Amino acid sequence: MSYKLKQYLLFAGVSTVIFACVVIIPFIYGLYLTFTSWDGVSRSKPFVGITNYVNAFADAGYWTSLGRTFIYSAIAVILVNAVAFIIAYMVTSGIKGQNFFRAGFFVPNLIGGIVLGYVWKFVFNKALVSLAGSISSGQAKSLLATETGAIAALIIVSVWQYAGYMMLIYVAGFMSVSEDVIEAAKIDGCTGTQSIIHISIPLMTASFVQCLFLTITRCFMVYDVNLSLTNGDPYGSSALAAMHVYNQAFVNKNYGTGQAEALILFVICAIIGGIQVYVGKKGEVQA
Amino acid sequence: MKKKLVSLAMVAAMSASLVACGGSDGGAASSGEKAESTGVSITILNSKTEIQTQFEEMAEEYEAAKGVHVEVYNADTDTTVASQVATKYASNDPYTITMVDAKDIYSLADDYAYDLSGQDWASHTTLGITVNNKLAGFPFCVEARGIIYNADAIEKVTGEAFDPSSVATLDDFQALLDKLVAGGMEQPVGILSEYWSLGAHWFPMVYEEQADPDAYVNGLLAGTEDLAGNQKYNELMDTFETLVKYNYAKGSASNADREETSMKLAQGDIAFMFGGNWDWSVINQYDYTEHLGMMPVPQNTTDGSNGKLVGGGSKYIFVDSSDATSEEQRQAALDFLNWLVNDAEGNTFLTEKCALVPAFDNIDASALDPLSLSVKNYADANNLIPNYNYLPDDHMTVVGQEIMQKYLDEAIDRAEVAKEVTDYFKTATPIAH
Repeated sequence: MSYKLKQYLLFAGVSTVIFACVVIIPFIYGLYLTFTSWDGVSRSKPFVGITNYVNAFADAGYWTSLGRTFIYSAIAVILVNAVAFIIAYMVTSGIKGQNFFRAGFFVPNLIGGIVLGYVWKFVFNKALVSLAGSISSGQAKSLLATETGAIAALIIVSVWQYAGYMMLIYVAGFMSVSEDVIEAAKIDGCTGTQSIIHISIPLMTASFVQCLFLTITRCFMVYDVNLSLTNGDPYGSSALAAMHVYNQAFVNKNYGTGQAEALILFVICAIIGGIQVYVGKKGEVQA
Repeated sequence: MKKKLVSLAMVAAMSASLVACGGSDGGAASSGEKAESTGVSITILNSKTEIQTQFEEMAEEYEAAKGVHVEVYNADTDTTVASQVATKYASNDPYTITMVDAKDIYSLADDYAYDLSGQDWASHTTLGITVNNKLAGFPFCVEARGIIYNADAIEKVTGEAFDPSSVATLDDFQALLDKLVAGGMEQPVGILSEYWSLGAHWFPMVYEEQADPDAYVNGLLAGTEDLAGNQKYNELMDTFETLVKYNYAKGSASNADREETSMKLAQGDIAFMFGGNWDWSVINQYDYTEHLGMMPVPQNTTDGSNGKLVGGGSKYIFVDSSDATSEEQRQAALDFLNWLVNDAEGNTFLTEKCALVPAFDNIDASALDPLSLSVKNYADANNLIPNYNYLPDDHMTVVGQEIMQKYLDEAIDRAEVAKEVTDYFKTATPIAH
C-alpha cells in the first residue's frame, strides 16, 4: 500500500465508508429504483426502463408544484437574506444588549419545523383572525384559507425561521471586515450607508455566497413546515415540490415515479446552487 | 496544559456517554432474555394510534396471563402505514402482527400474509378479507360513516324530543335546520375539511351507494359513465350543498379545524357533523353533552340508502408469513387473535377499553360509546352499506383535496366537480382485485 493511500485511509477512511453508506449507496439505489415500477411495499421491483421519467415529465401536478416552489423560493430567499442582513447590521452596530438580540433572533432555528408549523397555524387561524375580527368587527378570513395567502404564510414563517440563522453568518461577515478599512473610509468622508455599500458588502461576498446557497437549497427542499402549516390546503394549492414528491411516492404508491421526480428536483437544485456558488465566488473581493 | 486538560475532560465525557449507551443496550438485551425465558415474544404494529395506551396496558396483562411477551409499536402519524411496514420488511425484521387498512391488505397479502382460514374466529365474522383464496385479513373492528348528531343541542332549541329516523329525507333535514336557525342556532352544521374526510369518506359514497359499485367505478375508469347525470351523485351533492349552506365555517370552510369542529359538536354549539364513530376519540376530549349518536346521510331518495350507514370492517390485521417469524411466534400470534374473539378478557379489551364495535357475532358489546352504539345497532340490523376498497390510491388526495375542497369553499359548482372527477378517472391507475 502506498504511503499516500495509507495516510488517506488513516485520516479519512472511516468517514469515507460512512459517507458511502449513508449518501452514495442510497443515492445509487434510489437511482436504480427510478427504473422500476415498485409500489414501495411489495417484494418485486419490475424493471420498466425510463417510464417513470416519462410519467414524471407528463405529471402536470409536479410541474405546477415546481413552479410554485420557484416563486416561493425566489421571494423567500430575497426576504430571508434582506432581513438577516439588516438584523446582522443592527446587532453588530454596538447597540445595547446586542448579544441578547443575537440569541433572540437565532431561537426560531432551534424549534423543529413541524412544531413551528403547528404553532404558526394557530397564530394565523386563531390569533390573527380574532384580532382582525375585533378590529374590523366582522368575520375575518384566515390567511391560510386562500391560495395566495397560504403561500404568503409559508414565506412569512420561512423568513421568521431562517433569518436568525443567516444573521449569524452575516454577523461573522461584518466582524471580518477590518476596522481599519472602515476607519479609512470614514476619514475619506464616507457616510454610514456608503461604507456599507462600498466597503462592507464587497468584503462580505463570501457570507452572501454561503447564505444564498443555504437558503436556496433549504427553500427548494422544504417539507416539514409545508406539511404542518398548510398540508397543501386549500385545494392542494400550497403543496410545494417536496410534498408532491412525497405524496406521489407514499400516498399514491407510485414509488418509482416519485423517486424520478425527486431526482429531477435534486438536479435542478444542484444546477441552481452550483451556478450561484460559481458566480458568487468569482465576485469575491480580497481585502 | 489547560487546553490539554479540557480536551481530556471532553474525551472522558464523550466516552462516558458511549458507555452509558452501551449500558442501556445491555438492559434491553436482558429484558429480551426475560421474555424468552417465559416463552415467546411477539410484536404488534398498532395503526389505530388513539388506542396505543390501551394496547400497551393489555400487553402487560397478556404477558402476565399467557407468558407471551407482547411488544406494541405505535404507527408513525407522519408517514403511511404501508411504507412503515415496507421498511420493516426491507430490514428483515417484520412485525409478527400488523394492523393496516383494508386497502393495504390487498397489496401486502400475496407477499407477506399468513393464511388464516380454518381459525376458530373465522366462522364468527363475514368481514374478513380473502385474497387469492387466502383469508389474509382479520377485521379488528367495525366502523361506519354518517351524520353525527347532538340530540341535546337540537332538543334545547326545538323543545321536542329528537328522533333521527324522522329526518331521513333531505326535505325533513332542511326543515329541521331551518327550525334550528329560527331558534337561534345560526350555523348548525360542521364539515371536516380534511382531504381524507372529503375524498375517502364522503365522495366514495357516490360509488358505494350505486347498485353495483365495482361496475360503476370501472365505468368511470373506462370513461363510459356520466357522473354529472348520475342520480346518486346528484342526491348526495344535494345533501352536501345543504350542509355547506349551514356550515359554521362558511367563508373559510376548507380551513376548518378538526378539533374545533369536534369541540363545537361535543358542546352543542353545532348540531350535526359528517363523520364516523372514530370521531368519538376526538369528541370525548371535550366537555360533551350526553346524547350523541349517528344517523344515515339524509337524502331525497327511494333506494333506501338514507336508512343505512356506510361502513364495515375497518383496520385489518395480518400475521407475518415470512421466515423472519418463527413457528412459535406465529402460533402465539394466532392464539392472540383467538384470544381477542373468544376470551372474555379479549372481548373486554376490544369493546370496553378500546370502545370498538366488534366485527364478530359472538362478542357482547353493550358498553360502547354513543357513536359506536349507533353503528352497532345499524350493523346488527344489517343496515350497513359496505365500504368500497378498490379506489385508486390517489383518489383521496385528488378528489378530496383538489376537487371537493374547492366545492366546499363554493369555488366551483357541481357540474365542474363532475367534470374534474371524470377527468381524474381517465388517468387514474385501477387497483387490481
